[in-house]
Amino acid sequence: MSVLEVRNLNVQYHTEQGVCQAVCGVSFSVEKGEIAGIVGESGSGKSTAMRAVMGLLKRNARVTADEIRVSGESPRPGRNIAMIFQDSLSCLNPSVRIGRQIAETVRVREGCTWREAKKRALELLDLVGIRQPRLRMRQYPFELSGGMRQRVVIAIALACRPDLIIADEPTTALDAAVQAQILLLLRRIVRETGTSLLLVSHDLGVIASMCSSVYVMHSGEIVESGCAEDIFYAPREDYTRELLESAAGRTKDMRRPLSEGRPQADREEILLSLEHVTREYDSHEGVRDISLTLEAGKTYALVGESGSGKTTLARILSGILKPDSGSVLYRGREAAGRACTGKIQMVFQDPAASLNPCLTAGQALEEALRAADRSGVERETTRKMSTGEKKQIRRDRAAAMLEQVGLSAEDMGKYPGSFSGGQRQRIAIARALITGPELLICDEALSSLDAMTGSRILELLLGFQRERGISILFISHDLHMVRRVSSRVGVLYGGRLVESGRTKEVCSDPWHPYTRQLLDAVPEADPVRARKIRTSYVQEQDRGEKKDGCGCPFAGRCGYAMDCCFEETPGNYIFGSRMVSCFLYSQEHSGRRGEGYTMTSQI
Amino acid sequence: MLRYTWKRLLTGLLALFVLVCVTFFLVRLMPGSPFQRGAVSEQVVEAIEEEYGLDRPLPEQFVVYLGNLLRGDLGVSYEDPGTRVTDIIARTWPVTATLGILALAAAILVGTALGILMAVSRRKAVREVISAGGMLAAGIPSFAAAILLLLVFSVRLRWFPASGLLSPAHYVLPVTALTLYPAAVIARMTGNTLAAELEKEYVLFARAKGLGTGRIIFTHALKNAWRPVLNYVGPASAYLLTGSFVVESIFTIPGMGREFVGSITNRDYTLIMGLTVFMGTVVILVNLITDLLGAYLDPASRRAYRRADR
Repeated sequence: MSVLEVRNLNVQYHTEQGVCQAVCGVSFSVEKGEIAGIVGESGSGKSTAMRAVMGLLKRNARVTADEIRVSGESPRPGRNIAMIFQDSLSCLNPSVRIGRQIAETVRVREGCTWREAKKRALELLDLVGIRQPRLRMRQYPFELSGGMRQRVVIAIALACRPDLIIADEPTTALDAAVQAQILLLLRRIVRETGTSLLLVSHDLGVIASMCSSVYVMHSGEIVESGCAEDIFYAPREDYTRELLESAAGRTKDMRRPLSEGRPQADREEILLSLEHVTREYDSHEGVRDISLTLEAGKTYALVGESGSGKTTLARILSGILKPDSGSVLYRGREAAGRACTGKIQMVFQDPAASLNPCLTAGQALEEALRAADRSGVERETTRKMSTGEKKQIRRDRAAAMLEQVGLSAEDMGKYPGSFSGGQRQRIAIARALITGPELLICDEALSSLDAMTGSRILELLLGFQRERGISILFISHDLHMVRRVSSRVGVLYGGRLVESGRTKEVCSDPWHPYTRQLLDAVPEADPVRARKIRTSYVQEQDRGEKKDGCGCPFAGRCGYAMDCCFEETPGNYIFGSRMVSCFLYSQEHSGRRGEGYTMTSQI
Repeated sequence: MLRYTWKRLLTGLLALFVLVCVTFFLVRLMPGSPFQRGAVSEQVVEAIEEEYGLDRPLPEQFVVYLGNLLRGDLGVSYEDPGTRVTDIIARTWPVTATLGILALAAAILVGTALGILMAVSRRKAVREVISAGGMLAAGIPSFAAAILLLLVFSVRLRWFPASGLLSPAHYVLPVTALTLYPAAVIARMTGNTLAAELEKEYVLFARAKGLGTGRIIFTHALKNAWRPVLNYVGPASAYLLTGSFVVESIFTIPGMGREFVGSITNRDYTLIMGLTVFMGTVVILVNLITDLLGAYLDPASRRAYRRADR
């Protein structure tokens, strides 16, 4: 008998704009002890369908279904069905201790005393692989890392002893290495507890590595379903094929068209360089001793998990933040604040948050132009004009810019709320590019978008780079995305630049153990290979708690860690264009080397 | 946390010192003398002033006053010779404080309850009525509300006595008059913050793990929703605890607010100073407590304080 049986599920949203059909006539089922997957772009109705099954939709949603059955009963959240959400930080209460959040779930489910519930919570934390559970019980969500929080969320779901767990994008917010651990954990839990898992993801690699049966969802309908091998190796529908192609495109090189016909003549010109930049915080990760150079007209990529200091570094580069020590040189001159770095623009991760909801698209662009005007970047061209003329020019330029990013001039008057995520990101890009920057910093600009929208935005960005010869700095947690687009890459871990060099070299022959782990951990959209990588990747991590502030930041998770890795901080060892910060490459550990010595990977 | 508390206490003392300085010289700048009454002759006034040391230069008076203040001596009332200012405070403060604490408790209970109702009610009418009622209650000045209450419930309906504080029934009208405004503000604030809090994902997750609505509101959402409200409750409780002149006059309650206004019209220098210092201390302490409480409610800042201690 199947654990979950859903037949002909319909969800309608009643909004002020009218009725919107989010899910139409969807049917699916999950067998006992099975991992089933639902895959689709963002906005395809996956999450809505799952929340409808859980009965968690808001009042303006109308749910109708011929049948929604969990083990033959109606679904009761916290009893026979549980759910894991994407963002573990926002789905745990920030001001309630972890222990209590788990224990209260146990109490509601089992009706036992607090003491018994606490004991059960400790067992659950142990089950999901959290060490020192007693300490963690007393901590608050913000004190745990993203991966650990997601484990807590899984523990809470398990506390319900459900027949079925629905996991809605459980690893999307995590970096590849942590994602692999969480997926392994989910798989182990299904095996050990016998619960079924319904995995919802936009990532075909995740689905391929986990699921035995797969449903493909597109604009509120299930377009194809079957076992994983059929879907991935013999797709019947065009849409599935398209999805698979865009996933396979992750390994396709998108840099090639760049090298032709770029107007840049002085190829090796250095645009921006950092020298031993340090910025520390006591509340979260800062960056320590980072040196890197960006060349004009090239694409540089920074890769690292959340909390590795990527965003801090981006802010230092753009001049929003000042480093505690070290220097930022812009075209060889010391850059002091925004005045010197006005030719640097940023595109942020969440376009919903980085666009002011009270400004129309046109106003946002004109504002950017006005700001550039004031800081003197545009003054030369517009000095002699009257205010009215300037205004008209700004309006024309904003309209032209919107058209260049694939929107229309009519969109000028619309507010961000009426655009989709991808369109909003286009507006954010237009806002950054309208002032004619020399460097564009994209801070996780694509990671909130699904694969297809993301690759369209990426093509748009690369098109602009070809046209205008601007430099782009991509900041991402997805090494496979950046390897297609960037010429040089830097890998960040724990606030340190652990490896940097030419993208091709770093990705084909990683030197630092962390880079290796990142590359290995990304699942491919190929069930057989994805499953194999999972099992070969297993490697016990966390070798005891590390003292703060000393040693290599990666030592605790590193399979090659030596004693010195915990006690001393490795220096930056430079071999030609390659830099690596690991004791494996130091003279003391890999031996003295002569003039013509060529370093090779030590791992 | 401890170091932070000490720091705050020290800045509080500094603020108190500035308060003493400013009031001391401002009071002396007021035209008229405490002993200048219609038929009293010039010589008599000068004699009394000499007796109280008011003929000496201002800086000297100030130093003497500060010295006495450090020893906890607030002096003797000029208007009511022989009565120490500390005795006047000891007599009037319990009355004012009782009213204030009752009003504060009522405002928090009623305000929070209405706020929760406003946030969770499915009926639009309920939400609108609470919201509009809150706006109305917050908009009526306290003297108007007090007189209105007096007219309706005491004069017309004869449910509650109009003046004095002899029985529990006497407390009802003044406490209501004091409660109205803070309760309305708390209700509206709680309603809005709680509604925003209930939209958050952790509430959705709490429902997904099987918690009931009551448990979600009381153990989860309210804790986060109340943090901004606390920023209002702090100053409001300081205001309630130092007494409202208007309400105390209308209901003829022998409280501190009335005493304070009386002391100003009488040019009773020592009483003005004593009451100011006392009220200032209360305000500073209450604000310190709310700040510490707010920090305690927010685990992130609590941990930050702990770290700063080390």
